[in-house]
Amino acid sequence: MKSVIIALAATLLLVACGKTKKPDEQAFLNSLDSAKKGPTIDEAVINSILEQIPSPLEISVLLKESGTKYNYSLLNSPDNLSKYNSNFKKAINLGVYGTDLGYTNIYQQNKDGIKYLASIKSLANELNIGQFFDIETIGRLATNSKNLDSLLLITTQNFNSINHYLQTQGRANLSVLLLTGGWLEAMQITCQVASKNPKSKELREKIGEQKIILEQIVLLFGFYKEDENMASLLKDLTDLKAAFDKIKITYTYKESSMEVVNGVAVIKDNSTTTIDITDADVQNISSITNSIRTKIAN
Amino acid sequence: MSEEILKALTQLFAIITKQDGGVTENERQFVINFFQQELDQDTIKEYLVLYDEYSGYNKQGKGDDEKNKLTSVKDSVKTLGICKKINKTLTQKQKVVVLIKLLELIGSDKNFTPQRIEIINTVSTVFNIGQEEYKLVETFIIAEKVEDLNFKDVLLVNSAESKSAENQKHAHAHIEGQLVFLRVKSVDMYFSKYLGEQSNMLNGFIMQPNKVYLFSHGSTIKTQGGDALYYSDLVAHFNEEIKTTKLSFNAHIEEFKFPNGAIGLRNVVISEGPGKLIGIMGASGAGKTTLLLTLAGLEQPSTGEIKINGFNIHTEKEKIEGVIGFVSQDDLLIEELTVYQNLYYNAKLCFSHFTEKELHERVMNTLVNLGLDQRKDLTVGSVLDKKISGGQRKRLNIALELIREPAILFLDEPTSGLSSRDSENVIDLLKELSLKGKLIFVVIHQPSSDIYKMFDKMIIMDTGGYQAYYGAPVEAVTYFKKATHQVDSNRGQCETCGNVNPEQIFNIIESKVVDEYGQPTTKRKITPPQWHDMYRTRFNVSPVADIKEAPPSTLRIPSRLKQTVIFTTRDFLAKLSNKQYLLINLLEAPLLAIILTFIIKYKSAPGGKEYVFRFNDNFPAFLLMSIIVALFMGLTVSAEEIIRDRKILKRESFLNLSWNSYLISKLNILFLLSAVQTFMFVVVGNLILEIHGMTFAMWLVLFSTSCFANVLGLNISSAFNSAVTVYVMIPLLLIPQMILSGLLFSFDKLNNIISTKGKVPLVADFMASRWAYEAMAVYQFKNNEYEDPFYHYEREEAKADFKTAYLADELKKRNLFVLENFENKNDSVKALVAHQLTILLDNLRNEPFRAGFEKINIEEDFTQLKYTKVKGMMLDAYIEEYRKHYQKIYNENVNLIEKKMAFYEKSGININQEKNTYYNESLSDLVKNVSVKERLLEYDGKLIQQINPIFQEIKPTSVVDYRTAFFLPEKNLLGTTVSTYLFNILVIWCMAAVCYLALHREWLRKLVDLFGNMKIPNKVTVPFRRK
Repeated sequence: MKSVIIALAATLLLVACGKTKKPDEQAFLNSLDSAKKGPTIDEAVINSILEQIPSPLEISVLLKESGTKYNYSLLNSPDNLSKYNSNFKKAINLGVYGTDLGYTNIYQQNKDGIKYLASIKSLANELNIGQFFDIETIGRLATNSKNLDSLLLITTQNFNSINHYLQTQGRANLSVLLLTGGWLEAMQITCQVASKNPKSKELREKIGEQKIILEQIVLLFGFYKEDENMASLLKDLTDLKAAFDKIKITYTYKESSMEVVNGVAVIKDNSTTTIDITDADVQNISSITNSIRTKIAN
Repeated sequence: MSEEILKALTQLFAIITKQDGGVTENERQFVINFFQQELDQDTIKEYLVLYDEYSGYNKQGKGDDEKNKLTSVKDSVKTLGICKKINKTLTQKQKVVVLIKLLELIGSDKNFTPQRIEIINTVSTVFNIGQEEYKLVETFIIAEKVEDLNFKDVLLVNSAESKSAENQKHAHAHIEGQLVFLRVKSVDMYFSKYLGEQSNMLNGFIMQPNKVYLFSHGSTIKTQGGDALYYSDLVAHFNEEIKTTKLSFNAHIEEFKFPNGAIGLRNVVISEGPGKLIGIMGASGAGKTTLLLTLAGLEQPSTGEIKINGFNIHTEKEKIEGVIGFVSQDDLLIEELTVYQNLYYNAKLCFSHFTEKELHERVMNTLVNLGLDQRKDLTVGSVLDKKISGGQRKRLNIALELIREPAILFLDEPTSGLSSRDSENVIDLLKELSLKGKLIFVVIHQPSSDIYKMFDKMIIMDTGGYQAYYGAPVEAVTYFKKATHQVDSNRGQCETCGNVNPEQIFNIIESKVVDEYGQPTTKRKITPPQWHDMYRTRFNVSPVADIKEAPPSTLRIPSRLKQTVIFTTRDFLAKLSNKQYLLINLLEAPLLAIILTFIIKYKSAPGGKEYVFRFNDNFPAFLLMSIIVALFMGLTVSAEEIIRDRKILKRESFLNLSWNSYLISKLNILFLLSAVQTFMFVVVGNLILEIHGMTFAMWLVLFSTSCFANVLGLNISSAFNSAVTVYVMIPLLLIPQMILSGLLFSFDKLNNIISTKGKVPLVADFMASRWAYEAMAVYQFKNNEYEDPFYHYEREEAKADFKTAYLADELKKRNLFVLENFENKNDSVKALVAHQLTILLDNLRNEPFRAGFEKINIEEDFTQLKYTKVKGMMLDAYIEEYRKHYQKIYNENVNLIEKKMAFYEKSGININQEKNTYYNESLSDLVKNVSVKERLLEYDGKLIQQINPIFQEIKPTSVVDYRTAFFLPEKNLLGTTVSTYLFNILVIWCMAAVCYLALHREWLRKLVDLFGNMKIPNKVTVPFRRK
């Protein structure tokens, strides 16, 4: 009899313990009423801006061509996946991982690439855009470095079609987050590489060029001020923009000329773009980028 | 008799005879006769000298009165001393014999002087023989006229029709003179003496007139008139209990056939009244046990009947309930209980009207009677681990039947394996019972002479089930001797020692024909049928008149509920006392939990640095294993239960106890054990694997599963005969449970004959494992701390997502096909169009969203005949609206979830921490069926959603349609929607209930028997045939 009582007590204890008190449903619903509803944004506007932003993968290609070595520690660890619970985090990190996957693939680091693939697949599923990832095909391509081109094509196509799909679904904010994530990660990698090669003019200019893109992004975020998460990110991005504002981009127009090279007529663009960026600017941008990226990834 | 005692007796004789006139020649002769019986020729002289010295023989004339008085005082002191010495060594029975000898001594010369009588009186007092009894004995020896013997302990046998004195008992016989029998009640001894001129034979020896003979068990007196007076018949006259017991037993077994067709018994006739101890003897294979079983009603004769008080024991069982007791050769004890408990619970089942005190007294009485009172608190122990001796076991077995005092008792070789002393004790006890009016049948092997003579009647069976003899035991010897014309055939027993050699009988029955070389052949001189015919012609069994009233029965069976309580307590105590059983069963669960969880716990967190429950990929498998463990423990613990009790059940079958009560008691204990086992498993397992918040829920499922396994195990336990068969059955029951649990093999990828897309296959519905698994998986996913607040939104989200992302497209595609082809005249295309329309209708019929479509009756407007291009376009537009509508719902829910998460984070809850603790990714992938390739599938004319079963809604087609895909969160229970967890537990209990019904009706056993009785042709195949 005694043992039965002890057993019962133990059950109660086990059932009871480990329960953290959560605010009840009503409290949550009440908080909803007070939140104001944001205005609807014309999809066409968002679309036009989005289309101007180049794929972050292009930056990765540049990096490879500049001769820097592969560095896994620059990337967001695929293990962080489990930390992303809200759609905001999921979407932005899906973008981040997309860039990371591109980076690993460009350097033919298939072993790491597969990990990113898995994380991407998982995030995409959770965002209900899993159908755009034929993981088996991507996996097959990823394990064979010769298929780099196909892989690049597929991933790029994927991002494009996802963008499109989300827009038709009225979930354009996810598209914005996806691209922002991708861009931010590209920025991060570039900045990190640049900080290790401070003399590389090419990299510094690449960073400076991003000023235009950031402006577009900030513009886009402006539409989602009601979303708490996005508003908070916008604030960070504005800080970053302030750093970029110090950079001067001068575009000098010169008429194009025609030359004959090896018997073929070629039109030569004589216009030049000069980017004035100081070391301090690079450092400033790097640190702000890094802090935003850390916030997103964790 | 020891030298010391003989010396003491000699002195006693001397002291008595020397009183009042000294020793006469007659008296001295009597003493010499006595010595002759006890001693050899040489020692007689020695003792006679001693006697003469003490008694002062040959010293006559010397005594004067003064001296006489002195010696008498001296003698008295001496007498006392001697008697005390005798008291220490002789039993009461022997003392009575001594007393009778003393009285006979002085009776030999009729010299009854007061002083002599005085001394004998003193002796009797010292011997603790009651004054009344002494008077009786004295009168019996002294009296010369039967009229003087007016005592109720005296039986007079003569040719007269009536008794000579009022209190006497009387029997008629063809005899001259008077034959007097005396009973000394306190020691239950009989003496006889003959007053007359005839020479009657006592056990084949001539009875001297006026001499007192001990009339021992099995004695026979043959008168010159040809009458045989048997001990049992004469003794019956003294027994009041026999006279008052109303019992008649008439058996006429014409034939008994074994299932294989062999004949076990032929033409056996037995008729008995109360108060008889009847032995059954025979060579092995003669059918002794078969006869006993048939007489007890455990086997039914092919032709013939057995009647107790006129009630047929096979057809009128209820009339003779509790009348029969049967002690089989096997041990029918509950080994884990003590001697006392064995008896106590048995008594409790028999006497519901007894108080605890009465029960205790009854048990103690029985224990004392069987000499087991000193051993009452010892555990019986198994045959291998003996705690009490073989004899004590045997006695306890008998005690179990004796305690309820059945009117008719059958014992199968109660003395086998016992020492001769134990055997005698057992038969003594049975004899005593028979004297109380019980009718007792005993199968016995090689009885000693004493035991043999104790029987009132002996049935001798011969090979082939022939009855070769049925009558007084000692008579048997003379009968068989006579039948084979042996010398000295009148004497059944040894002249000097009175021993009977029952072996002689079998030597005679089975004596073989000798061939010309003097070697015995296999052929018998007299075959069993011949013996049987001989017996038939010589003896005639006259049936006992059927008594027309219910036979005496002390049985009062308790109510069913009480029986359950008694059975349960008994079983519980037995299990408690079996330390090994208890330890193994209680340690098994936590041990398995430790082994299992220890092995599958790994550094699961991404990066492999620590263990986090959320990332434990083994969790779904752990749930399945825990079900298998519950099933396995449930089965093993119950599988042997009934088999082990079968012997006890057989014994208790005479009590007609409730099978239901018995089964319920089993379930009580097994369920309790299951509850404890599964509880420990869950607690230990969940502690190690850090599974939070589902201890009770998981326990309830596992407990239910284990209980189901208990009932299932009892079924096989009751159906098969050996524990080995039962254990072989366990994998046969367990492995399908594993195969069809839903985890190891996906229900979608089973053989097409059994699988149905979108629904759990029907075969799997017979598996408790599948219900248990679904219950636990669904519960864990839906109700875990993390998921619980979001489940509702996620469900809405998933439902809306499915409609926009998959269903809308699919419907559009089908509508397009119809639009293009509805005017086609081709039959096969027409059929396709019709098919697509049905699918469209199926999916839109119950659609709540109707914007822009409100006025259209889908059922009527979208038949194949009424379909028009305009309608098709309308439908297309509607589907687009439908998609947009659900897209909105989807987005809303996504937003809500987002907000709720932010809300929780704000109120200080670490969502990620919660998810790590309560949520399992692997399980969530399983219940969401994320690995499925085709998220939407057309099967059997229906669109089936394969993704996200955990978020789907049920769509029952009728009230009783309970079937759904695996992991749906709800089920249809007769029109109401019930959570899967609850529904599945209910199903498991229903399965247990059905199993219980099968158990109660013994369906499985009957089925097994049916197969067992199928005859396999008995052809002998020759492996190698020579040409």
